[in-house]
Parts: sequence; C-alpha cells; structure tokens
Amino acid sequence: MHDRASGDRQPAPRTTDVEELARIARSLRRDVINLVAPTGQGYVQQGLGAADLFAILYFSELRLDPLDPEWPDRDRFLLSTAHNTAIFYATLAARGLVDREALHSYCGDGSPFEINASERVGTVIEATLGSLGQGLSVGIGMALAARRRRSPARTYVLLGDGELQEGQLWEAALFAGSARLSNLCLIVDDNQMQVEGHIDQVVTVAPIDAKFAAFGWSVETVDGHDISALLAGLERARGRERPTCLVARTLAGKGVPSLEGLLAHNLKLPSPVAAKALSELSQIAGEGPR
Amino acid sequence: MMAGNDRTSLEVLDFTARDAAAAPAVKHYGEALVEAARRDPRIVCLTADLTLPTETDLFRDTFPERFHQVGIAEANMVGIAGGLARCGEIPFVHSFCVFATRRCYDQIAMQVAYPRANVKIVGVIPGLTTLLGVSHQAIDDLALMRALPNMTVIEPSGQGDVRAAVAAAAAHEGPVYLRLKRADGSEEPAPATSDFRIGKMQVLRRGADGLLVACGMMVAIALRAAETLAREGVSLTVVDMSTVKPLDPELVALARTVPLVVAAENHSIIGGLGSAVAELLLEEGVDVAFRRVGVGDTFAEGGSTGYLFEKYGLSERAIIDTIKSLRQRRRR
Repeated sequence: MHDRASGDRQPAPRTTDVEELARIARSLRRDVINLVAPTGQGYVQQGLGAADLFAILYFSELRLDPLDPEWPDRDRFLLSTAHNTAIFYATLAARGLVDREALHSYCGDGSPFEINASERVGTVIEATLGSLGQGLSVGIGMALAARRRRSPARTYVLLGDGELQEGQLWEAALFAGSARLSNLCLIVDDNQMQVEGHIDQVVTVAPIDAKFAAFGWSVETVDGHDISALLAGLERARGRERPTCLVARTLAGKGVPSLEGLLAHNLKLPSPVAAKALSELSQIAGEGPR
Repeated sequence: MMAGNDRTSLEVLDFTARDAAAAPAVKHYGEALVEAARRDPRIVCLTADLTLPTETDLFRDTFPERFHQVGIAEANMVGIAGGLARCGEIPFVHSFCVFATRRCYDQIAMQVAYPRANVKIVGVIPGLTTLLGVSHQAIDDLALMRALPNMTVIEPSGQGDVRAAVAAAAAHEGPVYLRLKRADGSEEPAPATSDFRIGKMQVLRRGADGLLVACGMMVAIALRAAETLAREGVSLTVVDMSTVKPLDPELVALARTVPLVVAAENHSIIGGLGSAVAELLLEEGVDVAFRRVGVGDTFAEGGSTGYLFEKYGLSERAIIDTIKSLRQRRRR
C-alpha cells in the first residue's frame, strides 16, 4: 500500500560544519534583503532573525532530495506562520528546491511565490499554512502517517512565539505529548514580536519551555543564532522518545546592526535602507571567516 | 458499581432519544466504514471523544493501528487529517455534524478543501435531531460545507444508502462531507441494494402537479406528504437529492415539467439544499413557483425529534401546507 521502494534512497549531502553553515546563513540574509527590496516592504526582520535556523534545517538537518521533492521518506518541514517567506524561499533556492530565477516574481501578481507560502509553489511547500496555529496539527498528521508506515521520516514545524496565542496549537501540543510522537520536532522562533509589537505588550506566552514540558514534551531553550547549540539540540531531539520543542531565542533583524532589535512585523524597506543593510552584511561577511 | 445491563444501555444512548430502546440495532455506518477500510488500507479513522455515537468503535476494534482518538479537539483533528492525507492516507474524521463543521471551519477550508485533501468529514446528529439543545444542533452545516470550493456534500436519506455513500465517498478523490442520521429502530428495514451515486438525484415517485426535492430525513417525510396529497388528487414528483453539492443539473429539466417546486431539508432554509435548488433553477431560467421547507431563520432548542420537527416546520403538514399555498397563489 505504501511505497517502501524508496527505502534505499539517500538524502542530499548535508553538513554539520559550523563555519560553513554560518557562511550559508550570511548569504541567506543577503538574499532576504535582495528579495524584499524590489517590493519595498516585507518580512525582513523575521527573515534575518531566522536565517540561522533555516540554514541549519535545510543544509544540515532535513533529509531531502532536491532531485525528487516528492520522495516519500523525506523529512517534512512546515512553516506554520507561512509569512516568513523571504528567508524560506531564499533557502529553498539555495538548496536547489526551487528555481532561483523564478524568485524574481516574488510577491508579483500571478506569481506562485506569494508573501504567505502556498502549495502553488509545489511540493516543497508541504501544506498551505498561515492561518495561524494550524501547522503543528498538520505536522502531527504527517508524523502519525510516518509512524504507521514505519518510515524514518521526521517532521519539523517552525512557528512563531506570537502564534502560541492560538488555541489550536495547544490542542495539538496536548495530543503530541500524549501520543509520544518522537518523530516530531517543534521549533519556536522566539523573536518576541507580533503584529502589534513586543509580545509582552499583547499577551505574554512565557514561559514557553515550562508550558511544553507540562504538556509532555522534551524542551530545550537555545540561542537561535548559536549554530553549534542548535545542531546539538536537533541531534538530541532525534534520540528521544517524546516530541521535542526547541525554543530558539532569535533577534529580529539579526546580522544587520542598524536593524537588529527593531520589532517591525512588516518592515518598510525603501532602497536606501536596503542598500545600507546589504552594505552592513558585506562588512560583516568580509570580517568573518570564509 | 453499575450493573452490566445498565452500563450497556448507557453506552448505546446516542443523545438523540430518551430511551435505549430507540438506539440503533444495526450500526450501518460503522459496518460500512469497516467494509470500506478492508478494501482500502489507506483508510484511517479519527474521532474526537465520540467513538460510540459515531459507530467508529467497530473500526477501532478491527483496525486499532489505523484508529486515532484525538480527544475533544475538533480543530486539531481536522489539521491532523490534512497531514495524514498529504502522506497518502484517507482519513475519515468523526464528530457530531455541528462540531465537525462549525468548530473547525477554517481548518477544513485550509487543510482539507483548498488542497483537495482526501479527507472525509463525517457528522452524525443532523439538524434538530437531538435532546441536547442548540449547542448540538447543526442547522448551518450544509451551508458551511457547500460554500467551500472543492467540497462534495452528501446527505443520504436512509440506512439503505449509507453503505453505498460510504463506499462512494471513499472512492471519491477529494474532500467529502457526509451528513448522517443513525438508525434508531424506527426505520423500515434497509433495502439490500442502493441506487446511490454521488451527484445523481433519485426520482422516487412521479407526478405532474409539483416537484418535491428533499435530502436526508426529509425525504421520507416528503414521500408521506406526496402520498397524502395524491389521495386528494395532487400528484407530485419526489426527488431524493442526496448529493447537495454538486447539485445534479438534471433537476433543471425535471423542474421545467411542473408548475411548482418545494425543497425540504432538516437544516436552516438559508444556504442549504433549498438555496442550492433556488440558485440552480433561477439561473437556468426555470419559471416555477418555489418555496423552501426547513428551519426558519432561527435557533431551536433541545427536544425529541418528533416534537422539534413539528414545532419547527419539518413535517408532513408543513410540506402539504406549503404545496397548497403555492397552488393557491398560482390560481390567483
């Protein structure tokens, strides 16, 4: 019934080289600015903040085959917020999962590369999310399916800390803990930001770790820009008998000093600001190891 | 400690009747689902703490590895079903009609309807058929599901069509909403064969004086109304429109042969079968007198089904009065 013929397939090469991953993340940050600059606004701050997470997920953690995006035993990745697409599309292009040239249509009328990622892009967008709070439930379905057909596929769900205000998320968290879904890993992009500003000015979700622990999850809180720590956390998650929640503390605008810490949900990025951001990224890249 | 017999009678109560005697003797749906699942190993079953009332205990006991109890969390259940479907499973999700649709509408829209996920949403307790009250009455589920692109909406009229409807839903590639009334012992024995097909109406009797289009429980009531009127010399065509969406376009030709059309449903008159029929006939330019029989634009309350159907106009009398008033109007 289920296609097990792919059991011998090997995922694309991955790296755990911290310097290499850091270099990839810097390159992805440049892509974020370059993608958003032509439209003048977009999810810049979240993209810069999550660049290290995306670099690690797509170049180190996920078992994927860019030559066959529908490989049944691939690991699944779900971006529950769906709007953090500048970094998402940049990463998919860098990994060879979408055509970099096609990204020129980003956010244009008729383009499959909408601000909120949809499956119009193709299988690499594993579900159309963005109605907040739904991604973890879908991920649970994928994890249950993998468990039943004894597939090694793991499911990764990335969501925002603000999204934890959605009730469905806690239904899902309760179920995943109860079902001991060890092949499920949730990463909370804890950037303390939502549409109306700092999360604590809206509705506090902290302590995230204690909440998930109480729901039966293994929980680790890590610096979302510490590549070594993130790699270690993801590796430990693979060995557990319970679902893991990695709370990754990230800094909005990370990597562009003039933007760091600016809590702007949908940032205006006029060309002078974009040029300055690129210049700052170049300087940092020039200083850092290659 | 409860006696064994008491415990059994508590279990079989299904929130629709006051006494255990009215509880279903045969689990038509539960058996049909198990049968479909034997044929197709992709079928999995989800329930939100309503295993017995949705007859999925049979599936649970037959295929425990394919059964997921998600607890009282319908939104999560539908999201999980979306994920399962994307990995090649065919999830049947279960709850009462009201919770299977209204509580998780956005989840159905985004994780089932939009991606054309192969998910079957199965609701029991349609319309006003419950003692429990307004919280448990699904008077808008047909409207909600009908409004979603890619969704097929089915309400069989009797137990005889349940097996065929389940098989057809399983074989249909894409989202289906199946609105079911469980057997309660009051029905005629179910016929062994069924003419049910998705998207095809069944003409149950023919007459020249009007057309009654009904779905679900209102089909039997419509037939009784037609029989009563036949004795008064008024002959009606009665159609079982078990697929509310997509509506069978052959209804148009049938409607052109009669002077009046009445649609009857155990649902609000807004947005359900009656609305669908009106939209089709008006847009096709069919010149007939038309009325809807169903729950008026109101919420109801808990009570026995017979009481509620009389009170809220889901009755033979209501249909007959509607037909007669339309005939009066045409004579004026």
